[in-house]
Amino acid sequence: MKSRWLKLGTVLVAFSVIAAACGDDDGASGGDGNPLEGTSVTVTGPERAEEEAGAIQQALDVFAEANGMTITYTGDADWEANINTQVSGGNAPDISIFPQPGKLADFARAGDLVALNESAAAATSSNWSEAWTTFGNVDGVQYGVPVKTDLKSLVWYQPSAFEAAGYDVPTTWDDLLALSNTMIADGNTPWCVGIESGQATGWTFTDWVEDLMLRTVGADVYDQWVSHDIPFNDSRVVDVFNMVGDLWGTDGAVFASGGSIAATAFQDNGEPLVDGDCFMHRQASFYAAFFPEGTVYADGSEGAVDVFYFPSISGDKPVLGAGTLASGFNDEAATMAVLEYFSTPGYAEARQNAQTALKGGGLSGFLSAAIGQDPGIYQGLEQSFLEILSSAEVVRFDASDLMPADVGAGTFWTDGTSFVNGDLTAAEAADKIEASWPAG
Amino acid sequence: MEKILDTLLSVGIAVGASAALWVAANLLFNQVTTNWRRFNTAAGATIGFLLMVVLDGNRLLRSLGPGSDTIGTIPAFLWTPFIGAIVVGVIAGYLSSVDDPGRRLLISVASFGLLGVVIGLLLEDAYKPSFDHVALVGWTVGLVAVGAVLSALRERPPLSGALIGGALGWIVGSFGSATLGTGSTAEAVIGAAVPAAALGWRFGRTPNADDATRGRIDNGSRAFIFLAPALVFIAVTLVVPTIRTIYLSLLDRDSEDFIGFDNYQSVFTDVDSFDVGSWTNIFTSRLFLIGMVILAFALAVAWFGRKSSGKAFEVGGPAIGPLVIAIFLLVFAVFSVLRGTIMNNLWWVFTVTLMSTALGLAIAVLADRGRFESVAKSIIFMPMAVSLVGASIIWRFMFVARNENKPQTGVLNAIWVGLGRLSTGNGLPTLLFGAAMAAIGLGFLALLAKSLVRRQWNRIPLLGLAFAGMSWFLIRFYSSGVGGIRTNASGELKANPILFVQEPPFNNVWLMVILIWIETGFAMVILSAAIKAIPSELIEAARVDGADDSQIFWRVTLPQIATTIGVVVTTLIVLVMKVFDIVKVVTNGNFGTQVLANDMFQVAFSFTDTGRGAALAVILFLSVLPVMYFNIRRMQREEV
Amino acid sequence: MTAVKSLSPLSGMGATIRRLLRSVKNWFSRLGASIYSSLRSVPTWILWLVVSIWSLPSVGLLVNSFQTRDAQRAGGWWKVLTGQGDFTLDNYNTVLRADTSAKLTDSLLNSLAIAVPATIIPIAIAAFAAYAFAWIDFKGRLWMFIAVVSLLAVPLQVALIPLLQLYVGGAHLTLPFLHKTITLVPDFDLAGTTTAVWLTHAGFALPFAIFLLHNYISQLPADLFEAARIDGADHFTIFWRLVLPLSVPVLAAFGIFQFLWTWNDFLIANTMAGSNPDATPTTIRIANLAGDFGRNEHLLPAAAFVQAFVPLGVFMGLQRYFVRGLLAGSVKG
Repeated sequence: MKSRWLKLGTVLVAFSVIAAACGDDDGASGGDGNPLEGTSVTVTGPERAEEEAGAIQQALDVFAEANGMTITYTGDADWEANINTQVSGGNAPDISIFPQPGKLADFARAGDLVALNESAAAATSSNWSEAWTTFGNVDGVQYGVPVKTDLKSLVWYQPSAFEAAGYDVPTTWDDLLALSNTMIADGNTPWCVGIESGQATGWTFTDWVEDLMLRTVGADVYDQWVSHDIPFNDSRVVDVFNMVGDLWGTDGAVFASGGSIAATAFQDNGEPLVDGDCFMHRQASFYAAFFPEGTVYADGSEGAVDVFYFPSISGDKPVLGAGTLASGFNDEAATMAVLEYFSTPGYAEARQNAQTALKGGGLSGFLSAAIGQDPGIYQGLEQSFLEILSSAEVVRFDASDLMPADVGAGTFWTDGTSFVNGDLTAAEAADKIEASWPAG
Repeated sequence: MEKILDTLLSVGIAVGASAALWVAANLLFNQVTTNWRRFNTAAGATIGFLLMVVLDGNRLLRSLGPGSDTIGTIPAFLWTPFIGAIVVGVIAGYLSSVDDPGRRLLISVASFGLLGVVIGLLLEDAYKPSFDHVALVGWTVGLVAVGAVLSALRERPPLSGALIGGALGWIVGSFGSATLGTGSTAEAVIGAAVPAAALGWRFGRTPNADDATRGRIDNGSRAFIFLAPALVFIAVTLVVPTIRTIYLSLLDRDSEDFIGFDNYQSVFTDVDSFDVGSWTNIFTSRLFLIGMVILAFALAVAWFGRKSSGKAFEVGGPAIGPLVIAIFLLVFAVFSVLRGTIMNNLWWVFTVTLMSTALGLAIAVLADRGRFESVAKSIIFMPMAVSLVGASIIWRFMFVARNENKPQTGVLNAIWVGLGRLSTGNGLPTLLFGAAMAAIGLGFLALLAKSLVRRQWNRIPLLGLAFAGMSWFLIRFYSSGVGGIRTNASGELKANPILFVQEPPFNNVWLMVILIWIETGFAMVILSAAIKAIPSELIEAARVDGADDSQIFWRVTLPQIATTIGVVVTTLIVLVMKVFDIVKVVTNGNFGTQVLANDMFQVAFSFTDTGRGAALAVILFLSVLPVMYFNIRRMQREEV
Repeated sequence: MTAVKSLSPLSGMGATIRRLLRSVKNWFSRLGASIYSSLRSVPTWILWLVVSIWSLPSVGLLVNSFQTRDAQRAGGWWKVLTGQGDFTLDNYNTVLRADTSAKLTDSLLNSLAIAVPATIIPIAIAAFAAYAFAWIDFKGRLWMFIAVVSLLAVPLQVALIPLLQLYVGGAHLTLPFLHKTITLVPDFDLAGTTTAVWLTHAGFALPFAIFLLHNYISQLPADLFEAARIDGADHFTIFWRLVLPLSVPVLAAFGIFQFLWTWNDFLIANTMAGSNPDATPTTIRIANLAGDFGRNEHLLPAAAFVQAFVPLGVFMGLQRYFVRGLLAGSVKG
């Protein structure tokens, strides 16, 4: 009996010695005057490439240096899963940047996220239009600060190729369909489509569905669809699935550089567009980063790429957007101060400048709809994105980012992919997605 | 530079301290048989030290020092443990030299009791209990009874258990169930001294150990010392999480309500886990038919072989090769029709385990003692060094398919489409390729003839199959054509690349290829180490007896490394069952390639459905238990 | 022979023809001999065939690591054989220099700080345990061993959250009925340190390590142990002087694997230390380099080689411990 206890104790001491030897000291010291002096704030998010993560860090450093604090941004290659682990494990960062308002709302309702304090909330509502702040608003309380906006209702094309073939930029849905058919008849391939994207395969398909949902059923039904007030296998959703399927399934309509739509990586559609293998590519504003090196944008030159607005059906010009929102896991003064800074045009400008510099030419890929930025820091094409965003009557967030992860980052992608791949019919896919919607 | 030093220092301290403690524990118990008194002193000192560490570390005791952080140069918090070590060490050491039972008991009770009094006096005000007498009596009496019964069951004097139970009960009763911080010093002293005295009584009752007991203590403690570090690590990192997972699998997605086995039910009734509806298609698949033909061939060979050797199926015999091929084809026929996550996992386990072990063994044997052994082994091992994620990315490049109008950039499709162009063309390359293939086919034929002449029956069936396969390939090559080419509606020849990753069900096999590419190196390294450990006398003796290379392999090498093969197979089964990274990176479960571990990760960590995720983990764990059962049987046979 | 004889009526043509025929015959017999010897070496051919298939993906990766992004996408790597490559060192330059989340040197050190203790500590601990399971008699030995090995089957993902909780807040047990909480393991603030990562690895490695080492150690000849025990050696001495030196090959084999697995691990490192850029190993750095949506995928080939460099060195270094005949001479008969 005795010797047993002894050995148990030995092991415990061994543990504590090891741990004590290796544990980190944290040496935070309070300063005087500025309450932020000497504090440190950690921020995590899914953006991690050198240009993005570096630009975020540089933009945050501007605020940190002004206040004598440190802010560390960590890009996480597996943010989706890791943020859940960290929160359950009690190791949440001070702030995280959410690409999905749905996830933000889940954390907020579970009590993990903390509502913005008065001054941060006030700054957010004065720096951003309600169209954007609403995505960070959970049950009437503001939790999230928009930090980045993407515009998804865009079609990339080459004006010079259009000109050479005598095509006009379509402004209505019927024009678009007609143009598509004309191209096929001319022996040209209208669309480049690829939905492969590694672990997120299928998301480009969901974007098409969402854009067409907005156009066919309108914003109100779109909202009901997102909030599951109408079932996912509602006939209107199935119709949109079929609309996309018919458009892509038409013989000669799609150039799939990877052999089939499901096998084509979404980032592999830039070269074919530039090379003239296809004429149009519906993809978001950040797609600029995926064109081959040396591509020029919207300067009227031969081979330059440009965008046009993905036409609406009933003329109401809805816009599908996306973006990221920052939210805090504690209510410390430093956390709230950083969140407040995130909402300001100053942050957006600092990031845009840093990111443009890090990209070393071309479009930065960053876009912010914060009010009061200096428009001069954006290039011509980026300014036109901002114009579309600000003139839009209806802006809706990417539905899959608002739905529960089981659907929005799960079956909507996977069963959608099965539909595109021909393994499921539209109705079967919609039924499976509906069945996977978490109860309650 | 500072970082290097920091790293080295912390790693060095961690490794050194653990090693030192372990060696010290061994040295301590070496004293059991050599110097009983020294052992008692040291063991007592250790216990005293630890007791005080626990008490002081939890800030239960009043500070001894004048309030500063150090007394002399030693941190104040270290003083108490040292004093504890000296006191208990002296008591235990002295007791080990007292043999008279009466004096022994008296000294033991008195000194332990005194220690209890001192601890009671030192106790911080915040921890002084105000007794709840009913609870105190209740716990003490209850645990006395439990201890006595347990002792009686182990056929020991009930008093021993009763004393320990009583001490425990008193502590629980006086501190555990009382309100702390409101009591008096007297209550603290009574609370601490009574159990201390009881433990002293228990300790004093036992006479000093005789040689036999000391031998028992020595042996028993060794098992414990050698196992304790491993068991602690395993308990913390594996046992506790496993129990937690089993518990969570019975709760709902937010771990709030108990829902019984609903999670399991929903997994097993989900068509994505099990889709066996179209099982009749098995019998019409080409794989099944070819497999049956080869199986018939194997049985025929076995039937004739039985006449010559007396055994139908013999390891290394002629019927084994065709039999293995036939089974392989038939299993593939089954798994390509029965779909779902769980079926995928089984398919993975079957294919990867078999192929990796066989290839790893072949390479280990063929490269052994050969020239450039280390070069060959390093190349086979290379994939292991690249990491699962890295390997998946490499193979994604290999699997790439391109539009029919563009050149293929993936190696496999370039070969496949190239083969198609060759077989539909009629230029010089087509002729050359056909001739080369024909030469290889003739080579098989020559080998076959040679084996027939030399009556090496063992090789004939496989060579026959190889020749038949080659002939079939050549006939196809020149007639309907092979490879990735097709004629489109307007009669043009177009590339027809394979979508390796997207076309179910054989995209699963292509993913398995990645793991086989990696794990062959694993099997090779372990089997190679085992082959090297075969005493060379055995092999030389066999060679003197006139055995050729293949006989040495089947009769000497294979039996010698059989248990190691068992280890490799078991490890691979478990490892493949848990396959995760490859599927996550390449398809993330799309296109009918989902496997349990990736499903679990998605469900638990991305969708935060804790209950279902836990259920999937438990299913994964349970499904490997049959393998463990066979290991138990094997080990039990070895024990006997 | 017969052929020559039957041709002898023609020998009037002179010695030239005979010589010619002899040389043809010799040529045929040499051909036969060489065919026969090449058939004998068929196994070696198979070995090198497998080896070349195995190296194909790596060769492609190596070539691509020196090609520009557009060249990697535009054509197969074998195009370089026809001189159509577009070579650059930029990929390596970016991989070695970029400081996305951490500098390469820092992350390499972190990888070492994780992989070295995560290799050595389980080797030591598992060797103790394997020895105990193999050569020390105690009650329930078999069943305890089976239980430990069965834990091989536990998917490590299930342990992520509980272990993170342990590192963040320690372990506390709330006693049932008494409503008091006692601290089993205090909070050492390990989350975000390399220590948390290697402690986790060390624990996960044990079932396999014990399984593998036990298989080897239990097969050491029993005579050795009896002889040592007669000489008065205790378990500690036997383990230290006898078992450890004899187990070098299996220790090296396990060491290689454990080092590789911990060096190449992403999941555990990202969970336990992903929040702290100062503690992240190379795997996390590379994942970050690749960028979201794989926009910098062209860097991965170069990164994979940088990443594989150290483990390959470890393999080459440890390979020489797979020596034959370690037991030779120690067993009689």
